[in-house]
Amino acid sequence: MTREIQSIILLLVGIATLRISWGTTYLNYVKESMRPWLLVSGVILVVLGAWLLIDAMRARPEAGASDDEPETPTEGADDGHAHSGPRAAWLLLIPVLTIFLVAPPALGAYSASRDTTNSIATDRSMAPLPPGDPVTLYLSDYVTRAVWDGGRTLIGRSVSLTGFVLAQPDGSWLLARMQLNCCAADAFASKVRPVNIPSDAGLLPEGTWVTLTGTWIPSEGVGTEETIPLVDVAGLVVIEKPTNPYD
Amino acid sequence: MSGQPTSTRRRLRFGALEILAVGAVVLVVAQPHLVSMFDNPALQTAATVFVSIIVQALPFLVVGVLLSAAIAAFVPKSFWQRALPANRVVAVPVAGAAGLLLPGCECASVPVAGSLMARGVTPAAALAFLLSAPAINPIVLVSTFVAFPGQPQMVLARLVASFATAVFMGWLWLRFGRAKWLRMPERTHLEGSTPFHTFRLTASHDFLHAGGFLVVGGLAAAAMNVAMPSEWMEAISGNPVLAVLGLALLAVILSICSEADAFVAASFTSFSLTARLAFLVVGPMIDLKLMSMQAGIFGRAFAVRFAPTTFVVAVAVSSLVGWWLLS
Repeated sequence: MTREIQSIILLLVGIATLRISWGTTYLNYVKESMRPWLLVSGVILVVLGAWLLIDAMRARPEAGASDDEPETPTEGADDGHAHSGPRAAWLLLIPVLTIFLVAPPALGAYSASRDTTNSIATDRSMAPLPPGDPVTLYLSDYVTRAVWDGGRTLIGRSVSLTGFVLAQPDGSWLLARMQLNCCAADAFASKVRPVNIPSDAGLLPEGTWVTLTGTWIPSEGVGTEETIPLVDVAGLVVIEKPTNPYD
Repeated sequence: MSGQPTSTRRRLRFGALEILAVGAVVLVVAQPHLVSMFDNPALQTAATVFVSIIVQALPFLVVGVLLSAAIAAFVPKSFWQRALPANRVVAVPVAGAAGLLLPGCECASVPVAGSLMARGVTPAAALAFLLSAPAINPIVLVSTFVAFPGQPQMVLARLVASFATAVFMGWLWLRFGRAKWLRMPERTHLEGSTPFHTFRLTASHDFLHAGGFLVVGGLAAAAMNVAMPSEWMEAISGNPVLAVLGLALLAVILSICSEADAFVAASFTSFSLTARLAFLVVGPMIDLKLMSMQAGIFGRAFAVRFAPTTFVVAVAVSSLVGWWLLS
């Protein structure tokens, strides 16, 4: 692998990194706190790639002379090491191409339906809800408060929850949202079951993003990690996919 | 591919640059077809997981290769002779303890360990550092503390078990390791004309090399992530021995960054604390992406011996430490 190819791969990886972290695409894959690190890494890779390319161009025997043969010795500075680059570097084109050509979307219904654990047991005491009517809550927060604190902090409050539609085999649907610890490799789902859905809401296809307002109602039985708490729906709005698709 | 340069070959010569150019054209033309191939939700999820593993690891890999390049370019070889005890048996725990100082994840420590060996650090000490650095650095310990509220003994157990495994593996290498298994990183062609020249040659080379193998590991981890039925996990959590082995194996498969694995471990609430400790000790030392990176940097003969041994030692040590500190 020549120095030129090495520099092109470095540039491509750097540009792909900058491309996803410049806008909001990176939020499909990692947490928001990674952004500065991704931007810095992208710049470093672009600088390294450009530097290597300039090295290789300087090392050309006659700069500017028309040179149609790609494999003529262009590694002048390090004679005989034209193929010193690691072959494995080609593999770095796979994520670059995946980002540019496929642009994998955020995890959604498929992952949520595979995740059977809904919330992790906790004996942490729950702080009262912040003010707001309705109060906007993370879906995971709602689930934890409902399942592990008996809904104590939710009583009498109107809440606003955002997630996507997860179709169930019986024709009903759950409101679900994925959460990341670190990146999409360790994502897990939070789910609530809406009841008394307004009949004019119509059929919502799986994956539709909605914001529900409503109140907590107790479900039967003791809370387990699989328990899916209920929410009594007062209002339902179909929304665009949020900028950050994860909780 | 050196051969007799003939006039015909000169005309038809197809270099890497041409392959890259033709490939780019084909891909751009085929793009709509490619995207529709990814309509399958399982494939789409695997693609997302794959990209996210690479994106998450990338900044750590960049820090790692900058550090390894700095070691190669600016730290004189004599420094390591003075910094590490001459007695190799003592050098192993010293290098292991130095792992406390590198705030990175496992992707960073592979190139750094390679650079240390190339600079004359005894392989046993470099390997102890390779294993301990991602497991016991301050960021990892703090995130473990946060992930296990009310259970600070988990932090201590992780520190003790990871350090013990790293040092034990270093000593094992001193006693049984053969130099011929280890393909010492060949770096003479990376000596530049000035230290800064060496720095950028080494940084580029190490990034491309380790990054390529990170891709292999990321692909494997994403495939397993999607292919593995989640019911298996529930089935084994009741059996104490299977639980430890199961979570240790899961750590290998998932290939999560060591700075986040504590949160994942905490979520396996149906498993014993010892099983979760095994997950935390094994993960930063050996997983699919690390195996791939180690095979790339240190050679296959090394990786096929080192990876399984590390797994066995890490599981055994975490079981012992778990029994001692967590029950």
